[in-house]
Amino acid sequence: MKSEELKNQEYKYGFTTQIENFKAPKGLSEQTIKFISKIKKEPKWMLDWRLKAFNRLKVLKEPNWQKPKFPKIDYQNLYYYSAPKSMKEKPKSLDEVDPKLIETYNKLGIPLNEQKRLSGVAVDAVFDSVSVATTFKGELDKKGIIFCPISEAIQKHPNLVKKYLGSVIPISDHYFATLNSAVFTDGSFVYIPPNTRCPMELSTYFRINASETGQFERTLIIADRGSYVSYLEGCTAPMRDENQLHAANVELVALDDAEIKYSTVQNWYPGDKDGVGGIYNFVTKRGACRGRNSKISWTQVETGSAITWKYPSCILQGDNSVGEFYSIAITNNHQKADTGTKMIHLGKNTKSKIISKGISAGQADNTYRGLVDIGAKAKNSRNYTQCDSLLMGNKCGAHTVPYIRNKNSSSTIEHEATTSKINEDQLFYCNQRGLNQEEAVSLIVNGFCKEVLQQLPMEFAVEAQKLVSISLEGSVG
Amino acid sequence: MEQLFNIDFKRFNSLNDKEAADRKKNFELFLKEGLPNKKNENWKFSDLNYIITKNFKNITNNDDYKFQEKIDSIHDFDHNKVILVNGSLKSSDFHFEEKGKVKIETLKSLEGFHHRSKNNLDYLNKALSIGGFNLEVQQNYKCKKPIVIYNYFTANLNNKIINNSNMIKVGQNSELILIEYNISKKSKFIKNTFEKINIDKGAVLKNVILQKTKCNGYFYKNISGTQDFNSSYQNFILSSGLKFNKIEIDMNLEKEKSSCHILSGLNLSREEHQEIKTQINHLAPNCKSYQKIKNVLDSDSKGVYQGKIFVKDIAQKTDAYQLSKAIILNDQAEFDAKPELEIYADDVKCSHGSSSGSIDEEAIHYLMTRGIELKEAKKLLIKGFLSEIFENIPEDKIKPFLEKSIAVQIDEIR
Repeated sequence: MKSEELKNQEYKYGFTTQIENFKAPKGLSEQTIKFISKIKKEPKWMLDWRLKAFNRLKVLKEPNWQKPKFPKIDYQNLYYYSAPKSMKEKPKSLDEVDPKLIETYNKLGIPLNEQKRLSGVAVDAVFDSVSVATTFKGELDKKGIIFCPISEAIQKHPNLVKKYLGSVIPISDHYFATLNSAVFTDGSFVYIPPNTRCPMELSTYFRINASETGQFERTLIIADRGSYVSYLEGCTAPMRDENQLHAANVELVALDDAEIKYSTVQNWYPGDKDGVGGIYNFVTKRGACRGRNSKISWTQVETGSAITWKYPSCILQGDNSVGEFYSIAITNNHQKADTGTKMIHLGKNTKSKIISKGISAGQADNTYRGLVDIGAKAKNSRNYTQCDSLLMGNKCGAHTVPYIRNKNSSSTIEHEATTSKINEDQLFYCNQRGLNQEEAVSLIVNGFCKEVLQQLPMEFAVEAQKLVSISLEGSVG
Repeated sequence: MEQLFNIDFKRFNSLNDKEAADRKKNFELFLKEGLPNKKNENWKFSDLNYIITKNFKNITNNDDYKFQEKIDSIHDFDHNKVILVNGSLKSSDFHFEEKGKVKIETLKSLEGFHHRSKNNLDYLNKALSIGGFNLEVQQNYKCKKPIVIYNYFTANLNNKIINNSNMIKVGQNSELILIEYNISKKSKFIKNTFEKINIDKGAVLKNVILQKTKCNGYFYKNISGTQDFNSSYQNFILSSGLKFNKIEIDMNLEKEKSSCHILSGLNLSREEHQEIKTQINHLAPNCKSYQKIKNVLDSDSKGVYQGKIFVKDIAQKTDAYQLSKAIILNDQAEFDAKPELEIYADDVKCSHGSSSGSIDEEAIHYLMTRGIELKEAKKLLIKGFLSEIFENIPEDKIKPFLEKSIAVQIDEIR
């Protein structure tokens, strides 16, 4: 090819992309927020709420107490809204997708159609309209359950949104939560009416148009009196995204006798073997057990992201309320995770349980950081915490930083933590039975995580087990 | 802060120009940030700035070391004596030991008092230090009797601050039992002590910190030390009875097979606040550390434990353990803990446990069915809970003495 022709070609390509893209003006400003609000056709109160958050943001500073440090983020150099990719931009078939990604899909046993969906291949509209999702939607409507994108809820159910949005994570919270409040683009909204048991596991997967919710996701789940809901976030399949910063907010509200079970599997792009690239996952998740006898249970499997920084918490306000936190955090190569929970006991007879399993390999750093705070009025409360860490090799780190506060004489807090490596005897035994090193490690690690994996909904648990093994590939031997 | 501290630098005798300039410089550095408050992670649970400004309006430095009292010595066991008055070395008596094997003198220079982490009280100490003692045990000498440091504080210390610094060195293959015995009158004062400990190859240092009487003192003590091959350090903290007390221990296990034990049993009552903060750095393989912190909290007292175990990547085969337990007797009392692990080596055995709660109702019930009154049953359980701490002290005469002093404190519980 002649040099002249080459020049022309580059020029042509550059030109097309410019036309196809539809983005908010670059940078963080009042204008950007107004733009997002306008595109979402939001009412004025919502815009005012966002602007209030933005004003608060101006005086806040990024937190710097967490162990993983990250390079400075230039907030003025980010796009805060970009329209979903058009059919033209999407890969036409799986052949155009990164073969490494496909390999992992196959290992996880993800069906072909789903593989296409996950990797953003343009799916035939006919396939989509007869999908399971539509059938499920009808069933939910019958029960009066609202499950829709939050932007839709802002328009259709403003009273519910107004009442609960920001009631658990106030707009004046820390930097990233406030940033999210100002510029969130979309996310899920769930409302379970009184005395209703949601008949299925709700998942973003079944929400039509759920893909491409962007980097600032906002989720709000309300379980009214006596209701129950189980919600799944994410999936085991590796997720690629061009945005490096992810700052989602998730708020849960459980009223009298209600129960919310929230499960997450996070497998965002962790960066390559040398720690280049990867997502910064700075998430704020908080649940309020507002009613008597309410319960919130968080389960998370964190295997992805270059830096994970999240503390799904429970505020146990109602008497007899229960908070639970089950977590597996796996870090390999140069990944860094600083994760844990906060259990804040305010009501009488409140109970909480924390089970955290951290696995560190390669040159990774894995920190459990948690708070258990039993207030003076939280009589007869109880907490049990167990954090175990597993280290593979001497280049990685495992850290435990629990904060424990007990302010009354009738409550009990118990905390235990251990750090160890994989037991040689167990490995030897497995080898003897004909398992190779990698299979043996995977078996032992799965055993180590069992208490948490059990908490996941069944179909999820099977995939998560495979994910645990895959995440540690290449870290032994 | 400048209004609070009314310091007279002329009170330091024999001040040469360089020293005077250094003191002023350190004092300015201290004033810049003032007393640490709860925004500082190390002081998260004990806001010193709040505590001091609430209780003191005008703080001056002390230059009065007059002492006429009769020394009320311990008769339970034979011991060597060191007398400190208001933090300054007064006299010593080592007649149980061979001549020249144990030496003590007034600390002359603060050389070697460098701190890894920035600590504003370190600046304050350097600015206002009146010295302290420099104690050294020669190599290959096992002290025949323990040394008791009678740490007297006189009655005229109201609103004063005492800053002193001590150095302790235990030579190769030597052994020493050192008992710090604090005795004070009613005055309300602040003490800020920095202590440097150096334990040589194969040496053993056992250190007991004990409070004789209740005291209106606000104490801070920073102990930092290094340990050589096969050395052992054991610290028993039984310092109940102070209004405020924070003991910070920073121990570096620099060579293989060294071991560090920190054991504490505190029984806190009205308006008492004590914090124990430790950082054990495992810097070499095959070292051992063991920490056991026990608190009984009555009335509106507050007990805090912040412990950190750091294991460097080369420190394989580390065995580190941390346990903190608290019994809370009153709804006004509070126990806070932050047991922290930071581990970079994989072949290690590291664990920690922490529990806090009410006194065991079933045990009380059991004792009462055996005809023991509620009050007695409580005391019995608390005594059992705390005395576990000094079970490891092998010297048969010291143990009953410590038991006795704990019993006196427990008797005050209603």
